[in-house]
Amino acid sequence: MSESAPKPSSSVKLVLLGEAAVGKSSLVLRFVNNDFQENKEPTIGAAFLTQKCNLPSRTIKFEIWDTAGQERFASLAPMYYRNAQAALVVYDLTKPTSLVKAKHWVAELQRQASPGIVIALVGNKLDLTSDSKTADSDEEGADGEDDSGDARKVSTEEAKAYAEEESLLFFETSAKTGHNVSEVFTAIANAIPETSLKSARGAGASNTAAGRSSEEQRVNLGNAQESGSKDNCAC
Amino acid sequence: MFSNFTNIVHKAQQFIDPTQGLNLSNSDRNPSKASLFQNQFRIPSTQNPLHEINAELTIPPSNQTSGDKDHDRGWHYAGKLHLSEGYMCFSTTPSSFAQSASVSTSSAFTGQTHGGGPSGNGFTWPLCAIRRVERLNSQNFQFALAFTTWNGLLYEDTKDTKAKQDGREQRIIIHLAGTRQSCERFCDGLKKGLRAGVGSVGKLRKVVAEDYSEYLLRTEDRKGISPPDAGLGMIFRYPGDPKKLRDRAKMRLWAEYLRDNGRNVTLVRQPTFHKLIRVGLPNRLRGEIWELTSGSIFLRLENPTQYEETLAKFEGQDSLAIDEIEKDLNRSLPEYPGFQSEEGINRLRRVLVAYSWTNPDVGYCQAMNIVVAALLIYMSEAQAFFLLSALCDRLVPGYYSTTMYGTLLDQKVFEGLVEKTMPILWDHLVKSDVQLSVVSLPWFLSLYINSMPLVFAFRVLDVFFVEGPKVLFQVGLAILRINGEELLDATDDGTFISVLKSYFSRLEESAHPKSENPKLRAVTRFQELMVVAFKEFAGITHNSITELRLKHKDAVLNNIENFAKRTAIRNLGPDSKLLSTEELGALYDRFYNILYDRQQRDMMLQQDKIRKAKQSRARASEIFSGGQDEVEKGRVGLGPSTSHMDYDAFREFLASTSKWAISDSPGSSRRDTMSESDRPTRYQSARRPTESISPWGSGPEPAEHEFLQRLFKKWDVDGTGQLTLQNVVTGLARIKGRRDIMGTITYFFELYDDDNDGKVDREGILRISEALLFLSRRGLEGSLSPSASTLALNGDSSVVRESQGSLAPGASANERFLGSVSAFIRRCFEYADPDHPSNQAIEKFQTEKDAEDNSNAFAIGDDDDEEEDGGEEDLLGFESPSGSPSKATKPPTLATEDTQDSQRSVSKAKSEAANAALDPAHPLHMTLPTFRMVVLADELLEQFFESSFPTSFHVVDGVPSTASASAGGLTTFSSLGFGSRPPVPISPAAAGAGRGLRGVMDGIITDGMRVATEVRRRMDEAQKELEKNALPGQKPDEDEEDDEDIGIAVGVRRGPGGASGDSDSRSVKSSDLDLLSGADAEAGAVKEQEANLADKDLQGGKPLPHRPATTNEPGVVEFEG
Repeated sequence: MSESAPKPSSSVKLVLLGEAAVGKSSLVLRFVNNDFQENKEPTIGAAFLTQKCNLPSRTIKFEIWDTAGQERFASLAPMYYRNAQAALVVYDLTKPTSLVKAKHWVAELQRQASPGIVIALVGNKLDLTSDSKTADSDEEGADGEDDSGDARKVSTEEAKAYAEEESLLFFETSAKTGHNVSEVFTAIANAIPETSLKSARGAGASNTAAGRSSEEQRVNLGNAQESGSKDNCAC
Repeated sequence: MFSNFTNIVHKAQQFIDPTQGLNLSNSDRNPSKASLFQNQFRIPSTQNPLHEINAELTIPPSNQTSGDKDHDRGWHYAGKLHLSEGYMCFSTTPSSFAQSASVSTSSAFTGQTHGGGPSGNGFTWPLCAIRRVERLNSQNFQFALAFTTWNGLLYEDTKDTKAKQDGREQRIIIHLAGTRQSCERFCDGLKKGLRAGVGSVGKLRKVVAEDYSEYLLRTEDRKGISPPDAGLGMIFRYPGDPKKLRDRAKMRLWAEYLRDNGRNVTLVRQPTFHKLIRVGLPNRLRGEIWELTSGSIFLRLENPTQYEETLAKFEGQDSLAIDEIEKDLNRSLPEYPGFQSEEGINRLRRVLVAYSWTNPDVGYCQAMNIVVAALLIYMSEAQAFFLLSALCDRLVPGYYSTTMYGTLLDQKVFEGLVEKTMPILWDHLVKSDVQLSVVSLPWFLSLYINSMPLVFAFRVLDVFFVEGPKVLFQVGLAILRINGEELLDATDDGTFISVLKSYFSRLEESAHPKSENPKLRAVTRFQELMVVAFKEFAGITHNSITELRLKHKDAVLNNIENFAKRTAIRNLGPDSKLLSTEELGALYDRFYNILYDRQQRDMMLQQDKIRKAKQSRARASEIFSGGQDEVEKGRVGLGPSTSHMDYDAFREFLASTSKWAISDSPGSSRRDTMSESDRPTRYQSARRPTESISPWGSGPEPAEHEFLQRLFKKWDVDGTGQLTLQNVVTGLARIKGRRDIMGTITYFFELYDDDNDGKVDREGILRISEALLFLSRRGLEGSLSPSASTLALNGDSSVVRESQGSLAPGASANERFLGSVSAFIRRCFEYADPDHPSNQAIEKFQTEKDAEDNSNAFAIGDDDDEEEDGGEEDLLGFESPSGSPSKATKPPTLATEDTQDSQRSVSKAKSEAANAALDPAHPLHMTLPTFRMVVLADELLEQFFESSFPTSFHVVDGVPSTASASAGGLTTFSSLGFGSRPPVPISPAAAGAGRGLRGVMDGIITDGMRVATEVRRRMDEAQKELEKNALPGQKPDEDEEDDEDIGIAVGVRRGPGGASGDSDSRSVKSSDLDLLSGADAEAGAVKEQEANLADKDLQGGKPLPHRPATTNEPGVVEFEG
């Protein structure tokens, strides 16, 4: 975790997509600030945040575009996933319709976003399911629906099978407890091919290289309280 | 073909009669005078400019204010006085909305708002606020009117004199400058309006009671009353430090201004008014001034109880919008204490929910929660509700719609303005690949409430509500200009955003902290921003914004539509995979084009109606609400108006893809009389009354047929009476997608299997054959083999063989198809299973064997095969050039013999003997395997299901142009009414003469259809007879009659095949039934068997045993041979 070591550093543009209120902003807030707010203002258009992720070989700086989830904002999405190298498609695992919407987003990204985009499918709100108590047991996930207090409506198997079919990264997370959150981002960081890192962000690459040098000074826009929590990417 | 909607807009323009002056599709470019007038004075869309006259407004010197002005003379403003149904408006800005005024004089404004809001000096008074008008004795031959308003007097029971004494009475004088005649006319209009307004004084009293000014300026004797609701701020404090905001000083200034110039609806705008707004409104008056300047107070005045009524009406109901609202209630300005309380949350919920009900097209859009939350800090719920309406409808139209086209459009406009005013910055943004709208979109969407600290955002809103949306642009440009240096250093989105965020967080700081001049040091960054916005960017006007919007509108809408189309097609589900991308795209366009076209037409028809109604009435009394604003309703990019296709739209849709779905008689009644009985009632209701303009627009008139209804019902899987795009795609994919003949046959069968029991009854069989004729009447498409060789090889139907022989030179597949259909009917009834509860066909057959034996005589008595074949030859050869008239006379002779024969035999037979299958007393049905077999037995039918039916849907290219040509080209059988008898097409003499092949076909088809009708009619009669009479077999006489009818039915339906009477044929039948019971065999096998069967059957087939008098016409005779 030593910032002093001159590891190669590169920026990765990451976009969050998913139905309204599945917890996109909360995931980002957890990742960036290690914080959780019950009442997060809805995202208007999109919010922009950055967070670094230290890999053994290099440092990845995520430029995170957290988009609005309401259906009618969908037509704005191309504006945000333009040039994105990674995408986090989030659904609420207590709400089956949100997985349908997530699938739509995956299809949209596969056809319209930059080729080679790394997509992770994330089922959020694991804290509302019973298997959140029994740690990470994927095996129990599906059948736990009858348990009292288990609001899970999307089985791990179903989502996982879909993710494999579409070759997506797949995680179930809880932004509230922080479970699996940093793992998602680490996995994405690892999945970004070196080659696409070199060319940074395509068209504007040559310019951005200069801008990157001043990244230490850059203000993180997410929130005022986040300044102290820069290093909690658990990589 | 229709790759985008501009085509449609263009098309829509084509069928607008330019002489009507509606300029519908052009409304943005040339807005109506009414809408200009409404926008200028921010009055409701019910108001129309009725009269206008040049005038001079004189405001008498106030005895309280001591200004620099000459007290004796007061203030004078020259301008124009406008009168609408319920409002009198005065403005010093030169504009004219009179009917005679040119567009340029209507739209050219020099005021601050450029027509986008109240500008200049003047007033907008509801007529009900005027208490008294006196005509003054004019000195200079002028018309002078003195107006006294209800200002300050609505709650008084004191005498006028007292009010006059303490100077509260608001009295202005207006000199009308115009010809005596025009002055008189204006006064007449005014009188009328005032009289109508008298009744609204009560409403006015209720409405203004909610305004804080009434409390602020209350008289001594009302000191005790409690203040009206001026927002959550009264409970939870207003944002910002009141001292720093100098709230008290501002309040004093406003109190003075309102005292002198009238409060709320009676306010007169003088220069101070605009100045007071620019420095920021005092907290408690803010809500009232917002609602006054935005004009939402007039909406409230129009319908003061709408808010409460809406809430009451929909109480307890759920909607998607409400779900969405609930998600956001706790996250709307959560930092403001009022929204951490139940009270605040509940108010917010009620306003948002009420609005979502009043405007379901918008419903709820994230960002509305933030805007409404901000409004609720300063105003009551009802005030916020109406202000939200004014926002969505007038101030930021399309911002919150389901496609958010207004937001996207204004982003394009903003980018254009940046490019124009700050080219260096713009170049830098382009080079750095920073997308400006990513940053600026939230500014516009949340009216800066989310971006700036609240106190400053409200200052922006203060100006925004008076001067309109251009303020958003001015402020945005000023932000970029002020931060230009730093932004030029930013090379990516992140830095760009952070520069601006930090700027917003320091708006309070001094703009010139290092200046020597303490006055300059005192200027905050926000003040600097306002100055830059309104001075440096003063050139950004309502007009320039409007122009830029027009320029970008199509591109933005196309973008949205492409996105919507892409998304919609991608999300169509598995069935859509059966169709090609091209087909799906075309289908999507077609679907929405039809809906759009229909809405346009509906609207035009409506406006046509309104116009007509208007013409017949006095103009002033007719309230003509400006429908122009909604002209493009229905365009996908503007948000949904409908995405459902009703039955009529479905017909129109089919008519655009399939030639058989085009009506045969354009211009004639489009309602077919056929099968009126079983048409579901909802189709009736969907149908509109007859209109003067063609209800089908420029496209071909769609046909009406029972088949279409069945198809619609089949596609309408949810039974809603409306089809979604998904329904249409799924429906079409099933027919067109698989290209598998068995699938298509099954599909067709299921269309007619009403109760899904796997059986189609007698009626269904007839309907199927009718549908086949209907579908083929404009010719068949797809790959049809040139000859009927297969059938010939199998020695099948003489019909085909003969047709080959005699019609070969000119006979088209279409003509042969007719024969196939008639063979189809025959075979269907032949192989249909008797309807037995146990469905044990063979058993039943055995039990009836005896009875059938009796019919031997009947069959034997008939002519033999050769004869029949000969007759058939006559029929088919008849029309050929070599056909001789003398032959044509032969059939009747035969028929007579037949009649005698059959009568003879029938008298011997029992009623069921004729043919169990055709006896109404013995209901029968056909199963899917039978249907398949019958279809596959005929090459043409097979080809029909394999290729021609699926290919008849021209989704991509539309109907081939020839098909939509005039009736003369393709459809010579112009009257296809099944119910009515078409005129007999042929007289023998004419037959040989130069009648074209087309005519031949028409005759044949008409006959075929008539036959089917006749068959059914006869059967119905027979049925009735049976019901009327005693059990069959008990009364010989009646039996005979029945038999006659049945005989007819047999003859007609079996056509050339006739009744199969001999035992051979019967034994075949029995084995047939055997086969059928396990009939899911693969196509080839079934076909072969069937072919054999058919062969044998035909050899045993007889011509008509009985000829009814009613069918004794050449046409029928020919057909029956």
